[in-house]
Parts: sequence; C-alpha cells; structure tokens
Amino acid sequence: MADDHWRTLMRAVQAGDTAAYRRLLVEVGSWLQAYYSRRLPSGMVDDAAQEALMTLHAKRHTYDPSKPFGPWLAAIARYKWIDRLRAMKAAPTEELSEDLAVRDCGEAVQSARSLEALLERLKPAQANAIRLVKIEGLTIKEAADKLGQTISLVKVNIHRGLRQLGELAQEEGHEF
Amino acid sequence: MSFDSLIDRLADDLTPVRRRRPWVDMLTIAAIALAELALLFVVGFAHMSLHRMMTEPTLWWRLASLGLISILSGALAIRSFDPAYSPKGGLRWLALIIVICLTFGLLMGGLPGGLASIADRLDWTSGVECAYKMALLSVPPLIGLALLGRRGAPTDLRRTPLLMGLAAAAWGAFSFVFACPFTDPLYIAVWYSVGCGIVVVLARLILPRIARW
Repeated sequence: MADDHWRTLMRAVQAGDTAAYRRLLVEVGSWLQAYYSRRLPSGMVDDAAQEALMTLHAKRHTYDPSKPFGPWLAAIARYKWIDRLRAMKAAPTEELSEDLAVRDCGEAVQSARSLEALLERLKPAQANAIRLVKIEGLTIKEAADKLGQTISLVKVNIHRGLRQLGELAQEEGHEF
Repeated sequence: MSFDSLIDRLADDLTPVRRRRPWVDMLTIAAIALAELALLFVVGFAHMSLHRMMTEPTLWWRLASLGLISILSGALAIRSFDPAYSPKGGLRWLALIIVICLTFGLLMGGLPGGLASIADRLDWTSGVECAYKMALLSVPPLIGLALLGRRGAPTDLRRTPLLMGLAAAAWGAFSFVFACPFTDPLYIAVWYSVGCGIVVVLARLILPRIARW
C-alpha cells in the first residue's frame, strides 16, 4: 500500500477535494479487488469491493490523518469481508443454481487462500461440509451421501462451522 | 453498478467532513454522566445519612472502584470506535482491575461466614431494588455511547458493546452509591455486580444491532 500517498489524498478528501477523491477511489478500488479476490469466490469480489468503497465514503470522517491509512482501510475491508462470510452462512444453499455454483467453485477454492487457511482450523467434518456445499455447490443431500453423514448432521456441521469461521476471522487481528 | 459509475456517484456526493475526535466524544460522555449526577442531587436522590457514610471506608472503595472502571471502560469503548483499534487487550486489563476491586472489597470484611449469614447479609429484596435502580441510572450514558458508536466505526461488535455496557453500568452504580444505605461489602459486591451484569448483558445483546455499519 502506498500509505503516505493515500494518507495525503485522504486528508484532501476530508476537506472536500473531488479530484483527490477520484484518484483515491480508483487506487483503493484496485487494492480492494485484489484483497477480496484472495478471500472470496470470484462472483462476490466486485460486490464486496464496491460495498467497501461505499463504506469508506460513509465513514471517511473516522480516519485520523495523523495515523497510517493502511490499517484503517484494512480494518474496513476485513469488517466487510466478515459480513460477507456471515451472508454466506445465511444464504439458502438449496436455492443456488448448480451451474453458477460449479462455475464459481473452482476459482474460489484456488484463490481464496485465506478462507482455506481458516477452513483448515475447523473440525474436518465441518470444513468438508462447508467446502462441498458452500464452495463446490453440492446440495445438502449430495454432500451427505459423499461424506457418509446424515442430512441433519451436514446441516449442523455447516451451521457450526460457518459460525466458528466468522469467529476465527474476527479473532485473527488486524494484520494483513 | 460498474466501478466507474460508483466512483462518479461517490465523488459527486463528496462534501467536507468534520473529523471524528475521540477526546470530543469523551468530553461529551463525561458531560452527560456529570449532568445526570448533578440532576440526581438536585432532585434529592442522595441518601439522607450521606454525610455520616462519608466516614465509611466502603463508600470510598465503591466510588474509587466504580469511577475507575467507568472511566477506563468508557475511554476504551470510545477508542474502539476507530476501526483500526482492537479493544481485546484493554478488556483483559479491565477484567483484572474488576477482580482486584472486588477482592479488595471482600477483604474489607465481606468474606461470608456460613449460609445463614450469607442469606441475611444479602437481603435479596433490597438487593433486587438496588440492581434495578442501578440499571436505570446507566441508561443515559448508555444511550450517549450508543449514539457515538453509530457515528464511529467499531469493528469488534462483541467487545465494544461489552465495554459500552460496562462503562454505563459502572457509572449507573457510581451514581447509585450516593443513594445506597448499605455498607456491607458482601452485599455491595453481589448486588452491584448483578446490577452491572444485567446492563452489560443487555448492551452485548442490543448494541451490536445499533452499532452495525
């Protein structure tokens, strides 16, 4: 991150400088896309980055120019990432289009290194259920057959695993 | 929406902002808390034998402990409205301070001497009333902190509401000290903890919904 450069731009933004704001949004937007591409399925990256930009806009008064810009931006990006993980937990898996899920999952599994690192910290049964249903797009029944578990056990493992995933992400601290 | 059109929209919407300053937030909360305390004295909330209780060491133990906890947790809560600040370490220190304050009070003569003695000393009917009044007194600073939290950007929506609740609860208990006729450290440790605990639990349950952004 070009911290001093962004800090200068952000100071100007707080004073209402539109040109500085456009530059900042373009540069931060690219950084956010790279950030989320390592953490989310590709289909969610643009939405997450745009939402983080809107949050930056709404919360720009909370930035203190005497402090580095990077940790402030990273904290906002991470907060919105955790929101996305929660949204994944709440999303009804049965209603996902199979084609869409299959198209997304390959890149998601390869690129979401941080997500994978967090999954490795879960119990294997929970991590496997989440991988199959939430990332690879299998139905609950297909995942249950593949894992040799009952349907309700798969649902419980997904629910508990996603909850723990959110907690782990929150516990990870602010360093990126 | 494409990135370019979003950037255009946000840039068109740009206006100068007044930067959030933590010390202004702290002064605001201090003003709310002191105004509440002053109002309580004006309406005659203070106990009639307060001047006699001034010689009781437990009065000063309560005021010092609750004042310290309230100030520290309030300052930590306000700092944690900055998205880049994590209140985790501060909360640990605060927990240690609370344990030290409670232990100190129990050593002042609060150690129980049997079940019957405990039941007598706890006087649960008065205790419930005390806890209820403390919880009510914590409402104004809690509302103030919640509003400031909404203007800020807290990223730890588990610990920040705990700190907000603790700050408000400790201030509610601090204010209640002036109206509380009880001086038994065991009674105080138990019922003040219950009163503060209720506020902290409610804050933990309710405030994340308000502070979410």
